[in-house]
Amino acid sequence: MHRANGHTTVGEEVQLTPQGVTEHLSYKVFNIDKRFVLALVGLGVLVILGIIGFIVRAVDDGFSDAARPQWGYYAAMFGFLLVTAGSAPVAAIAFRWTKNHWRRPLSRASELFALVGILNVLWFIPMIFLLPGIDLNGDGVLAVGEDRRTIWFEGPIGAPLWWDTSAVIGLALCGLAILWVSARPDMVALAARGTGWRARFLSWLSMGWRGTEQEWRLQQASLAVLGAFYFMLLVFVHTLISLDFALSLVPGWKDSIFAPHHALTGLQAASGTILVTIFLMRTCGGFRQYIGLDPFWSFSKVLLGLTLLWGYFWFSEFMTFWYGRDPTEQTVVKLVMFESYRVAFLLNFFFSFLIPFVMLIWNVVRKSVIGPAIAGASVVIGAFFMMVRLYVPAFNIPQADLGAHTVADFEAEAGQIAVQLLPVKPDVWDGFIVAGGVGAIALIFLLGTKLLPVMSMWETKEGLLYILFRPFIKGRYMVLGKPE
Amino acid sequence: MQEGKPLTDREINRGLLNILFENPLWYWGLVGLLAVVVLGAMSAAGYMINHGLGVTGLNRPVMWGFFITNFVFWIGISHAGVMLSAILRLSKAEWRRPATRAAEVLTVFSLMTAMLMPLIHTGRAWRIFYWVFPYDWARGIYPNIRSALVWDPSAVFTYLTSSILFVYIALLPDLAVIRDRSTGLRRQIYSILCLGWKGNPRQWKLQVIAGILLSALILPVFVSVHSIVSFDFSMAVSVKSWHSTIFPPYFVIGAVHSGVAAVVIVMALMRFLFGWHDYIRPEHFDALGRLLIVVATGWFFFFVMEFIFGLYGLEGDEIGMKDFLTAKPPWNWWFITFVGTTYFIPVSMWLFKGVRRNPWLMLVACVSVNIGMWLERFLIIVPGLAQKQTFNFVWGTYAPSPVEVVIIIGTFALVSMLMLLFAKVFPLIPLYDVKEGEILRSEIQIGRKKVPAVIRDE
Amino acid sequence: MAQRKKHKWGMIVDIDKCIGCQACVVACQSENNIPMNTEERFKERRANEWIRIERYWEVPEEYRSKPEEAPFQDVKARFIPIMCQHCENAPCEPVCPVYATYHNDEGLNVQVYNRCVGTRYCANNCPYQVRFFNFWEPVWPERLRNQLNPDVTVRSRGIMEKCTFCVQRIRRSERKIEGQEGGRLTDKDLAEGNFLPACVQACPTNTLIFGDFEDPDSQVSRLKDDPRHYKLLEAIGTDPNVIYLKKIDPHHEGEEGHA
Repeated sequence: MHRANGHTTVGEEVQLTPQGVTEHLSYKVFNIDKRFVLALVGLGVLVILGIIGFIVRAVDDGFSDAARPQWGYYAAMFGFLLVTAGSAPVAAIAFRWTKNHWRRPLSRASELFALVGILNVLWFIPMIFLLPGIDLNGDGVLAVGEDRRTIWFEGPIGAPLWWDTSAVIGLALCGLAILWVSARPDMVALAARGTGWRARFLSWLSMGWRGTEQEWRLQQASLAVLGAFYFMLLVFVHTLISLDFALSLVPGWKDSIFAPHHALTGLQAASGTILVTIFLMRTCGGFRQYIGLDPFWSFSKVLLGLTLLWGYFWFSEFMTFWYGRDPTEQTVVKLVMFESYRVAFLLNFFFSFLIPFVMLIWNVVRKSVIGPAIAGASVVIGAFFMMVRLYVPAFNIPQADLGAHTVADFEAEAGQIAVQLLPVKPDVWDGFIVAGGVGAIALIFLLGTKLLPVMSMWETKEGLLYILFRPFIKGRYMVLGKPE
Repeated sequence: MQEGKPLTDREINRGLLNILFENPLWYWGLVGLLAVVVLGAMSAAGYMINHGLGVTGLNRPVMWGFFITNFVFWIGISHAGVMLSAILRLSKAEWRRPATRAAEVLTVFSLMTAMLMPLIHTGRAWRIFYWVFPYDWARGIYPNIRSALVWDPSAVFTYLTSSILFVYIALLPDLAVIRDRSTGLRRQIYSILCLGWKGNPRQWKLQVIAGILLSALILPVFVSVHSIVSFDFSMAVSVKSWHSTIFPPYFVIGAVHSGVAAVVIVMALMRFLFGWHDYIRPEHFDALGRLLIVVATGWFFFFVMEFIFGLYGLEGDEIGMKDFLTAKPPWNWWFITFVGTTYFIPVSMWLFKGVRRNPWLMLVACVSVNIGMWLERFLIIVPGLAQKQTFNFVWGTYAPSPVEVVIIIGTFALVSMLMLLFAKVFPLIPLYDVKEGEILRSEIQIGRKKVPAVIRDE
Repeated sequence: MAQRKKHKWGMIVDIDKCIGCQACVVACQSENNIPMNTEERFKERRANEWIRIERYWEVPEEYRSKPEEAPFQDVKARFIPIMCQHCENAPCEPVCPVYATYHNDEGLNVQVYNRCVGTRYCANNCPYQVRFFNFWEPVWPERLRNQLNPDVTVRSRGIMEKCTFCVQRIRRSERKIEGQEGGRLTDKDLAEGNFLPACVQACPTNTLIFGDFEDPDSQVSRLKDDPRHYKLLEAIGTDPNVIYLKKIDPHHEGEEGHA
């Protein structure tokens, strides 16, 4: 990044002055080139495949307790949506809170993933019909042995469906609110420079933003409050979804670190998603001058920390279960780690922990652009396999056994995994659904970049004010203004 | 970020080395008083070892009580050192500068004190060599590495060794300054201690690299120590409320919470006792307060998770245990006190900038945190043991005896006394860190406003 | 000594027969030099009872929440004798830092007194709460010292102890029957030679039955698959060598029964 006093030009050649930034980013939003259309078409095909897969499954199996095993991979994809796109806005929130200067290029990208929150809600709706009730034998009494273990104690107010649905919807709305508050100044700038229905829509959407000092102060305060709220809601959603749709469906599985582990996977996969996104923005998106080495160098340290934490949480769970030799816990460990879903677990462990860890401990890798991007991609893949190994076995426990006190109650022999718990292989419709989910995330994100600038105009311009380079002793160093 | 007047090197040297070269009466009075308390605790421990553990309040089923609570508490306090020193050093936070050495030294002394607890609470403390050292002189039997109680000393001593190294390496430049300003025997001692520090660029470079390496290496140790201490509890399959997978991160974040609060207490006291108002400024307490809000809220999340999962299985005896904790006096009063003092009172105080910038109010809030965290450990250990399993014929309770209380108070006196003695021979605020901060201060002009800034070397 | 034969010592406790007389408790105390349990000790909750009789009150369903109002004739006392279960998968064994407790090849969970430093983790990790700690130095009045059993160590303060299935008697029996006479221990040998544990020997109702699971003809081998059999706290997975037989309760005919 450098200061220059030259003229601004439209197009890909950008001088980083405030004026130049605005012009360039507006151009990026309004200009639709061939590559973009190609990407849209490709992703659209994936989405259509996903819809086909969904319809086939819905028609063939329906939504009932008996059909639950068929929807295992669908539920895993919902978990995947939650940990990647659903958790992505946290990057903008967290690093704004800690006032890191290198967040500026990536904050709007992470906020844009809030648009995918709408997809989260839609995806969640069929799952509502698949969740078994708490009171399995319907006698109005919750007693051990007849009823599904759950953190809820009685319905309907304590019922999981009310809370899970409100939490997912609330998360989507909060994310959209953050996006709106953050993008308002940019909407006005865009509306002034564009024509057509988008400019008109943006003008209406900005709701009369004038840019007075009071408005800016209110914007900063709102972002802080909404951000804190989003973070807490996110942890809440992770807790509820992981507990109600995975943990409580496996009898006897009592694991207090399950929800924090799931939330942490969300933070880790979100970091990976954003690293991949800014990598693509820099290489294919034409944002090279905005995204220097700083975000990769610093964010990869965060990713390393989160990866280590992931390994640590996994180890806590494994060690506590393995050491105690409790038969129920041993069976669970065999189910989700070492026997039934061994393949998914190994893939999960490699991609979520071993590969990123071995990569990110090296300075050389962290101080590059491609290194953190690969580590980020690995983490995202690992998160997918983690969702598979958690949700698919949970959805495949037979309905009749849900009230069992321990998994051991329905084992064929003590210590052996029963025939019902053999791993469930995905079929072609599951594959379509997975492809559709991934395609939908990317498609919604790309469409979003053509409505709002994927690089935050006001934050970039603010950064230009605070970050200078000056000579110091014998070299040139960066000077960071810290107004707070 | 930088308030207060700019300071010259000479001012810094004189200001921070004041206690080393002067002999105020209050200092020796305070040390003497603490020494008396420590001696009292030592005699109580001697009495206990002589007469047996019957002098404590321990019984069957509550075989672990105040001593183990205190052990976990001091290990918790020790986590502040690494949190502030290593993590803030690696993330280049400016406001760490006055806090790092005090935090690291607090770590070293609280670790030493913590390890005293398991030693004296054993039935036959004079036989402790079986436990820590490989003792294979006659029968070929080594310590049982399957036992969490053997992992404990391994982890704690690793942490202790690395913390001592950390403190020492960071001390070297300051020892050289003291050497240069002293004469006679003192000069000789300090010149040996500072290992011939000359302050040339090569030595500085090595020192910085060593600091960064140690910071990075000590971080996994820090996480593992309190996790392994938590394994003492979570590996126990027979105590229902202890066998919970969330214990390791729950304990670690609780340790960070109480540790950072302890560092705030130490900083407020240092500022008052040694007159270091120019070095420990309201902005430091402000930053620590904001960090504490995040840490406290994280702790609260883990606490709620742990509590909920006690009830998750809808098992009668676990519900009975939680009922005991929240409904039966006096445990319910302890429980409410604990939740209030650990989270609600301090966090509601820290939400206000005025409170965060006031050292005395921060002291009050952080003392509250530590009272609460001590209670937290107690309420994990004792109620869990008192109502272990479904055989309620053997359910019991626990009340501490005077011997235990005296020994616990003695440990607090011991750590305070050791910190004060350290302050007399080594500066508790790193001189070169403060000087570096002065050099890196800068300002930039934005429009009509001058904004304080800091220089980054990337 | 001649070749050691393989044994797996175990016990059957028939709850149907226990009358709660505590003869077993007294016998155990005198056989194993257990310190005197004064009233003071019971109040401190430090009484040392290697075998204890747990007494539970059973009241009819409708009085469960207010047991003190139940008519006295409907209130039943239920007794469970509990001693060290000598678990095959004992939770107390991996947690001792000094290997003072381990599982020997005869199925016994063995406590090594001279190795114990008294960290008390084993007591915490025993779900049956059958481990006892010497909080005080045991003292017996001068006159009573003659009744101490010379075959059994007297433990000092700071040491954990628990039921050993009277291992001193087992060792004596093995030396005599298998060592000197070269045979194999059977139930008959145990009973006639006074080699049964003290509690088994003292019990008036044959509630406690001791024997060798490796011997297919012994009573314990036959009873361990009895339709009434169960293990305490089976779900924890300790795999105890003490098997209980459920009480047959005439007031609850036809019900599945609970332990």
